Amino acid sequence: MAITETRPEPSSVEAHVNPWGADDDYPSFARSLGSSDHKTIGRLFVGFSLVFGVASWALVALSSLHDIGDVDIVPDDSIFQVFTLGRLALVFLFALPLFLGLAIYVVPLQIGASTIAFPRAAALAFWTWLLGSVILVISYASNGGFAGGRANAVDLSLVALAVVVMALLLAAVCVVTTVVTLRTPGLRLDQVPMFSWSMLVAGSMWLLALPVLLGNLLLIYLDHRLGRPSDFGVGLNQWPQVAWVVQQPQVFALAIPVLGIIGDVIATMTGARQQNRGVMLGAIAAFGILSFGAWAQPFFNDEVTTQWLYIGMGFAILLPMLALLGGWATTMRAGKPKANAATAGAVLALIPLLLAGLASALYTIDPLELQDTEVPYAQYGVLVLVIGAATVAAAGALAYWAPKIWGRSANNGVALLAVMASFGGAVIGGVALVVNGFQVRLDGLADASDFLNGVAVAGVALLALGVLLAIVSLLGRGPAAGDDPWQGQTLEWATTSPPPVGNFGTLPPVTSAEPLLDQREPAPEVAS
Amino acid sequence: MATPTHVLPPVPPVQRPRVLLLGTAFATAATVMVFAGLIGVYLSRRAELVSAGDAWLPEGTDIPLQQPNVMLFTLIASAITVQWAVYAITRNDRVNTYLALGLTFAFGIAYINMQSYLYTLMEFDITANQQGVLIYAITGAHIIMVVLAMIFVALMAFRALAGQESRRQHDGISAAALFWHASVVVYAVIWIAVYVAK
Repeated sequence: MAITETRPEPSSVEAHVNPWGADDDYPSFARSLGSSDHKTIGRLFVGFSLVFGVASWALVALSSLHDIGDVDIVPDDSIFQVFTLGRLALVFLFALPLFLGLAIYVVPLQIGASTIAFPRAAALAFWTWLLGSVILVISYASNGGFAGGRANAVDLSLVALAVVVMALLLAAVCVVTTVVTLRTPGLRLDQVPMFSWSMLVAGSMWLLALPVLLGNLLLIYLDHRLGRPSDFGVGLNQWPQVAWVVQQPQVFALAIPVLGIIGDVIATMTGARQQNRGVMLGAIAAFGILSFGAWAQPFFNDEVTTQWLYIGMGFAILLPMLALLGGWATTMRAGKPKANAATAGAVLALIPLLLAGLASALYTIDPLELQDTEVPYAQYGVLVLVIGAATVAAAGALAYWAPKIWGRSANNGVALLAVMASFGGAVIGGVALVVNGFQVRLDGLADASDFLNGVAVAGVALLALGVLLAIVSLLGRGPAAGDDPWQGQTLEWATTSPPPVGNFGTLPPVTSAEPLLDQREPAPEVAS
Repeated sequence: MATPTHVLPPVPPVQRPRVLLLGTAFATAATVMVFAGLIGVYLSRRAELVSAGDAWLPEGTDIPLQQPNVMLFTLIASAITVQWAVYAITRNDRVNTYLALGLTFAFGIAYINMQSYLYTLMEFDITANQQGVLIYAITGAHIIMVVLAMIFVALMAFRALAGQESRRQHDGISAAALFWHASVVVYAVIWIAVYVAK
């Protein structure tokens, strides 16, 4: 008996109605709200973190202004909240989300993946981070925050900060999982572009260190919330328990992606292959390991800054930076770097980072008495130098990847101004603060403290201006970019600008770390 | 005459990225670090007091050891059952998979039940002193970890019921088992640091 298959009657399906009334498509904000496309999430992360970046540097400038003798813009009872919010915002509302946003956009493209791992988790991470950040700011404005005056607002700040940290950790899981599991066939882990590698190292270090901060926050919250603070929840004890995040060595973990950005931009703009690639990757990994600082919490171990591990790490972190400097200098000598904002950002970002490493080493030398000042200026200086380096690199990175992210080039002149302002601000502000830290050792410096603080305020204000200029450089209608305006070496330049859904049509064969360069000039091993 | 048979070559293993398993491994490492931080603070505060010649637990307070021992054995048993689920799903043995996941979930409930009972026995006010804050923070956070692990196991059980977990694709159950094992290891450390050492 023959069996006849008949197609079932189509069920009556209601026609899809666009509630926004548009004929062809949803409004862009509606598409962004519901999107789990890594490119949309990356753009959102980058955009909002830049806005927070301007505010963060402005808050740091305000708190530094208070250290100048007679200047009294912020009331005394609020200055500590401005101080802590500025530092928290620099880390959790600006630097970390900015690099994670760039990574969420760029890393899948660099490794030839069609998407990010756990795209809906990445979307959840962004919206949770944004919500947590807004609540954090509101709670501070309601007299909350560390040592705040309103108990409920303090508790809300603690919860909001924990939510922000968890959201960033979720985003980090997405990024590192992408690098490990979603590489295109042929692309080994030691062949991934420098930025992807640096995000693998950075994400791993953040995943190991920042959960310890969650533990600190839990202790503070429990002790404070339940009414009778015994130790952890006491107002003056709160900030010292979490301050290790913005102090050395942990603060250097924020700068790990800077090394990846410098590596990718220099190689591309020079048009030469990175020499001694394995050593460079190893140096970035060593830098990451040496920046693990969750164990160095002076609140729980007040002798930690005199222990050999702390001192050793303070000096040792200079070594991978010097190795990387040598590697990049070799690469730049092998070609002719293009003069533009991206190159300037990459080259200049290393200077404040090296200065931060030097200041970090000096800080551990006991006879210099940098730890003995009433206000820990040297620590503040290291923070400004490290996040300043991150700002410089980010300004360069945005100019570099703008064609791929937004489909048109950034305004090179304004982007160059952003890089120069950020660089000047980081060096001026950071060095002034570090020099101010010598006032116990050098008596004369105590008289110049107000002047040095004034210079530091000017530097930090320049950094705020630098972030603002970076936003302006992207807002302006720059020239439409081609798919590969820089003659790139890595896979993100093998697709359209911006990439389509799914990212790639066809991928070139991948046999080395520079597959696009292989197509133009076959590598010796490929040719053989 | 016997019918000739043709033996086909074995199907090559599917090369696929183990995204869920790797992602869970990273998330598990982060979760473990929360406890590393908390237990580090606990041990450092305890060492300060003990080295000063004081007892860690305030006078008049006590934490019984029977219930923590029972919880430890419960969680060790759950580690065996969750691994049984992985073993069963890799052999497409669905009945044993469901049974093992169900038992694991039940052990999780038993653990939470016993921990709650222990709280009623512990003569501790959570905010009376740093010891109370630390012990409740660590044990409470671990309850949250076990609850998360139970949700993970339940979700994977539903996926298995829907046929989405099989011999060829069992990353979900393997990932849930990984997170579960981590929660057991963390409890073993808590058992030594908090309940045995006191």
